[in-house]
Amino acid sequence: MANNRVVITGVGVVSPFGAGVETLVRNLLECKSGITVYEELKSIPSITSFTAGTAPEIDFSFIPRQYRRSMTKMSMFAIMASIEALKSAKYETAPEGTALYIGSTISSMKAWIDFAEKYINKHLEQVKTTAVFQVMNHSPLANLSQSLNIKGPGFGVCNACATGLVNIGLAYQAVKAGLIKSALCGGTDEYHPMMTGCFSIMNAASNQYNDAPSKASRPFDIKRGGIVCSEGSGMIYIESLENALERGADILAEIAGFATNTETKSISHPSSESIIDCMSLALQNADIKPDNIDLINAHATSTVAGDAEEAVSIAKVFGLKPKVNSLKGHLGHTMAASGSIELIAIIKMMLCGKIAPTLNLEEIDPACSGISHITKTQDISINTFMKNSFALGGTNASMVIRRYVK
Amino acid sequence: MQKEEIIKIVNRALVKEFELDESLLTPEADFVSLGLDSLDAVDMVITLEQAFKVDIRNNYKVGDFGSLGGLYDFIEKLIKQKNNV
Repeated sequence: MANNRVVITGVGVVSPFGAGVETLVRNLLECKSGITVYEELKSIPSITSFTAGTAPEIDFSFIPRQYRRSMTKMSMFAIMASIEALKSAKYETAPEGTALYIGSTISSMKAWIDFAEKYINKHLEQVKTTAVFQVMNHSPLANLSQSLNIKGPGFGVCNACATGLVNIGLAYQAVKAGLIKSALCGGTDEYHPMMTGCFSIMNAASNQYNDAPSKASRPFDIKRGGIVCSEGSGMIYIESLENALERGADILAEIAGFATNTETKSISHPSSESIIDCMSLALQNADIKPDNIDLINAHATSTVAGDAEEAVSIAKVFGLKPKVNSLKGHLGHTMAASGSIELIAIIKMMLCGKIAPTLNLEEIDPACSGISHITKTQDISINTFMKNSFALGGTNASMVIRRYVK
Repeated sequence: MQKEEIIKIVNRALVKEFELDESLLTPEADFVSLGLDSLDAVDMVITLEQAFKVDIRNNYKVGDFGSLGGLYDFIEKLIKQKNNV
């Protein structure tokens, strides 16, 4: 089996700040928040969290109607992000053999609700044919391959909030092993109030800052109270180093290692044991020691239990040496897209030497201490970082990224 | 309902649903030349059933209409049948 080095040569994003990687990174470094009040949430009595991170209105009419008709926003986000990723990889269209790895947490809640409403009211005859393609689990994969004419192998892997990073990890393993030459990979999700509802049911949705939405998501802070759900897509173009050098591509970073494991103690909370195992396996896969990691971009979603468990795990494996941040203070939790959007942001920050802090981390919770939090934008030289991404249902994922050197 | 009104409603529905250029909606226009495929054909039936409150799918036979003009006539016929009942 081959043992290729795997590099990232293209990145693209849609986030609560809008379309584009530069827009994302600028807003993060300027400590802006993408969170606002989502009025519809106020009309649902059992939901006490009124904040969300939705992307500004985007004109998707550039996608031809015959493709757009079977899409919901999550597919359109993914297409926009993929086009940007391909362009930044210096491609007008995806080259032959490009594989696709993309998923969402679940398919479009809005499309499912519209479909189910007609079914329940016994008016299935009113459901349009295109609705079927909107509610499929692998709808973003199908729509992306159709609209961008990508014929390579396609995988619609869905691991809830770890989806984005897991897809990049699986694509990395396939390129490394020589099974494929290149891949477009990542995650995508669209916001629906039901998402906030899901976390509200578990008392894990932020509800203490409804009047100050920009403060609502506050990972590791003592006053954090839960997740703020948001939306977007992060897509990455990866290829073997050999392929990238042959075609003279600009190499943004190298994927040095990846690991994923499954929590079996709880379906809702990752335990420190499984997080430690996952991060340790990623280090092992990258063949590096904890001391080699300069920064950890945490999953940290602003929940009371999850942030503390991750902080304790990082402290045990890494101590105080690496800096730690979470971008969910700015972005909220972009769900299936969070792993890939945040990975892209940190790669760009690594390249420009400036790292965004954990927004709203005003007073570190003692339960989240023992690690080196970043609380303001800093000039930091990063050569190697780890990205964590965890999911309800027990999926953990950690990836090691390093600055490319020949 | 007058034929002119039927044409207006059909055209409005098709422009909205399929983002068609209204100037192309002539009685001679066939659906393939308008860029509509088999999925669109099913969705067109649903759209027009909702617009006119008539049952198209159970009254339609292959060959009933191949052009937009034929569709106008077919809808007119269904509306008349409905009104007679």
